[in-house]
Amino acid sequence: MTRFLVRRISLIVVTLLVVSTAIFAITEILPGDVAQMVMGQGATEQNLKHIRETLGLDRPAPVRYLDWIGGVVRGDMGHSFVQKIPVTEVIEPRLANSLILAAFAFLVAVPSAVAIGVWMGVRQGSKTDHAVSVGSLVAISLPEFVTGVLLIIVFSSFLGWLPSSSAILPGTSPLTRPLILVLPTLTLTGVLFAYIMRMTRANVIEVLNTQYVRTAVLKGLPMRRVLLRHVVPNAMLPTISVIAVNMGWMLGGLIIVENVFAYPGLGQLLLTAINTRDVPLLQTLALIIAGTYALSNLVADLSYGALDPRIRLT
Amino acid sequence: MATTTTVMLETTTAADGAEQPLLKVDGLSVTFFTPTGAVHAVRDASFEIKRGEVVGLVGESGCGKSTMAYAIMGYLPGEPEVGGAVYLDGQDMAELGPAELRALRGNRVAMVYQDPALALNPTMKVGLQILEAISEHLTLDAAQAAERMAELIESVGLPDPERIAESYPHQLSGGQQQRIVIAMALACDPDLLLMDEPTTGLDVTTEATILDLVADLKGRVNAGILYVSHNLGVVARIADRVVVMYAGQTVEEAPVRDLFKDPRHPYTVGLLSCVPKPVADTGAVTRLQSIRGSVFPSAQSDPGMCLFSDRCPMATDRCTSEAPTPASVSDSHESRCFYPDDVSTDLWDELVEREAPHENGKEPTLTVKGLHRVYGKWQRKYLFFGPKVKPPVRAVENVDFEVGAGRTVGIVGESGSGKSTVARSIVGLVPRDEGDLELRGEDLPAEADERNADQKASLRMVFQNPTSSLNPKLPVRHNILRPLQKFTDMTASEREERACELLESVGLDASYMDRQPLQLSGGQQQRVALAAAFAGDPELIVADEPVSALDVSVQAQVLNLLEDHQREKGTSYVFISHDLGVVRYVSDEIVVLYAGHVAESGPAEDVLSTPSHPYTEALLSAAPVPDPDATPTPIRLGGSVPKQHEQFKGCFFASRCPRKIGDVCDNTPPPLQTSPGSPTHEIHCHIPLEELARLQDSSVATLG
Repeated sequence: MTRFLVRRISLIVVTLLVVSTAIFAITEILPGDVAQMVMGQGATEQNLKHIRETLGLDRPAPVRYLDWIGGVVRGDMGHSFVQKIPVTEVIEPRLANSLILAAFAFLVAVPSAVAIGVWMGVRQGSKTDHAVSVGSLVAISLPEFVTGVLLIIVFSSFLGWLPSSSAILPGTSPLTRPLILVLPTLTLTGVLFAYIMRMTRANVIEVLNTQYVRTAVLKGLPMRRVLLRHVVPNAMLPTISVIAVNMGWMLGGLIIVENVFAYPGLGQLLLTAINTRDVPLLQTLALIIAGTYALSNLVADLSYGALDPRIRLT
Repeated sequence: MATTTTVMLETTTAADGAEQPLLKVDGLSVTFFTPTGAVHAVRDASFEIKRGEVVGLVGESGCGKSTMAYAIMGYLPGEPEVGGAVYLDGQDMAELGPAELRALRGNRVAMVYQDPALALNPTMKVGLQILEAISEHLTLDAAQAAERMAELIESVGLPDPERIAESYPHQLSGGQQQRIVIAMALACDPDLLLMDEPTTGLDVTTEATILDLVADLKGRVNAGILYVSHNLGVVARIADRVVVMYAGQTVEEAPVRDLFKDPRHPYTVGLLSCVPKPVADTGAVTRLQSIRGSVFPSAQSDPGMCLFSDRCPMATDRCTSEAPTPASVSDSHESRCFYPDDVSTDLWDELVEREAPHENGKEPTLTVKGLHRVYGKWQRKYLFFGPKVKPPVRAVENVDFEVGAGRTVGIVGESGSGKSTVARSIVGLVPRDEGDLELRGEDLPAEADERNADQKASLRMVFQNPTSSLNPKLPVRHNILRPLQKFTDMTASEREERACELLESVGLDASYMDRQPLQLSGGQQQRVALAAAFAGDPELIVADEPVSALDVSVQAQVLNLLEDHQREKGTSYVFISHDLGVVRYVSDEIVVLYAGHVAESGPAEDVLSTPSHPYTEALLSAAPVPDPDATPTPIRLGGSVPKQHEQFKGCFFASRCPRKIGDVCDNTPPPLQTSPGSPTHEIHCHIPLEELARLQDSSVATLG
């Protein structure tokens, strides 16, 4: 187990290194210039040169990369080119906001998707099952920016129940105005819910046809017990990895949803960082996203090992 | 609800007295409706089971045996049409509501399944799975229930109940898993125990111990047992009465002795003739009989005729125009045949004497010298550093044998003995670490890729499961033409012609060329696989359990085909099987493998008679014989083949040997002994051969 953890965590570190190099390389290739972005169109050559020197952009790329990565190892993520303050300070409040939104979406989507998936698996072929199947396919097919806008049209413009914008003043927590979280959460939930629901349903149907479920039924157990003790635990095994993969998906969704609803989270920040070529900020955000993705996969593997006694993590 | 049912059922029993059978199946029929039409799985089945009685239910696959068992449980998929009735203690099961049925299941009627690995929940500790059945039906507090669970585990012969209860199914061996399933079935002292092929997937040694357990249960619990099996030997060993099913009908029912000694239905005689029996005292070896054709299709409705008439050698016009009903032959013997008195045991053609075994005059076709194969490497404690903690997995060590031209070498052993690794090494599917293979005295490269076309064509393989070894997406034609194309320089039309000949030689006509493998029955598929193996005129065919997945009647056809081909072409066979009866029947020489080591090898008759290696002795003792009078020898092997990464300091068999003599077995590798009368008969054992022979002869060793 320790061996497994040590190995996986070192692998995550390697992954992050590769990601950071790739991101750095990509920002090098991207057209546009940080100094130009910072100074605006009217900047003179002199000014640009000065900016480049202060930001250290005149040095060769490998040197800048090593310099940056050396800082990261010491816990110094560098300064934002644009805002001129430490990257950590820029990210901190945004990270909290994003985590709140993601947690809401996760807590709404996963339990309800599993519950409804089990129910539809048991009632396979019924009218409700067909209706839910079609609904979930629609949810999967629609991208977040479409569902988000649809929800705004219905609930804000038409019904007027919920705010269409989720913008909040800097320094305030979205929890003080919980209503603004409803539509972003629903939008994020849509795809996540549909995927997990369909997966759970398929697994439940498969497990219901196994011989050990037959054994449980012929033991004389009531159906509720057969479901809770025999079907659901086994059906959850493959579902867990889907949930983990969907965590990554949700991060992508966050970027879109936050921009649609003007919600001040990491996604919005990421877009700003790309637009302004704010490399240190971009690097850090990329590392956070990649790290979350890798960690959620690790958590999935660990819970898989905990749930399935046949799997030994080595 | 549960209590009401029990009370009601008990009153019924009391009112009707002791005469009433425990289970009465009366004219049961089960019809499933599928998109392709109605399937008559059970057509007209009637029989009874009394308390304390074991009733064997036999027949080929597709005869409705399992459907019958599940119909008794009231558990049938879909919404089949059920006719007739099933009475438990006089209670019509069809009248029970869902809750009453549930109160009955696992409580008064319990079931044991074919594949224990699949029948147990993989993510739940086995103790808990037993406990569930107890607490669902019995009113016990937690401590009492736990105590009962421990008792149950102990009562099915598992040591250390606490440890076992805390295990997950995958941590137990197949035999242990089946014992847990049996313990689960016994949880509430059932009145009726339904066992659906409970030993079919197990090793012969494990099967013997499970059968002992069932026989022991018969004396201990006052339950009626329905034992479903395709294996007549198993049924002969444990059943009191036997019911034979054919195409969904019960065709014969008799006490076990009567059924085996005096069968009165042609189908029963056919089934008995298909089984390779130990060589009779007279020494006359007879060719296996097979029942031509296949089971009357369950999709066809009852045409008002004897369903067996199309396969029956004594069918008359009456048989095809009128449906027979079960008629009494004697008090306890019924047969669904118009002419039960004309049925005799040599009904199935004349018994043909087999030709004498081939002489081993020429040089051997294949020589295996010191074959050695391990999988994996030493594992260290920390990935690449630290002490070596886990040795590589041993598959075979130092296996030597020769296959003479036109002769058959049988390889036997439990699962994990290395049989399949030997087979795969010969055809070059696994690289071997050490040891040499020679084909006709010439060195043979280890891997198939390094062999030339001639060598590949000379060595062909037939696998256990034809359904998965034939490509399901390609027609039969492709499966046979492909080797012809690879291994011969025939023109396309010659190949086509040859393929038809090959199909005919395995008893299939040319119309099968364009069928898809999945449209064929298991026996037909295996015959196609044989035709494909014969295609390049190989000198040696490695057959890995080629008949294990087949019904006895089909098994006989396949064995006869192999034999005919050998006589005609002089092909050599390496024949792997766990069924000693089959190996005994086909082999000229036998190699007994245990944990990757050769325990004993030599001419078939010598290996199977005393003196033999204690492991061979145990295998022989475990093998079920289709003769209720056979006195089973009491040698049983506990445990299972040692873990494959254990290293042996002494004798590889020491941990399970019933004849272990002491420390020498644990500490010194056994010497090779050769019997004086037969120089090629070799035994690896510390016990001197004279001593072995004396011990074995004195322990009622009626080894055929």
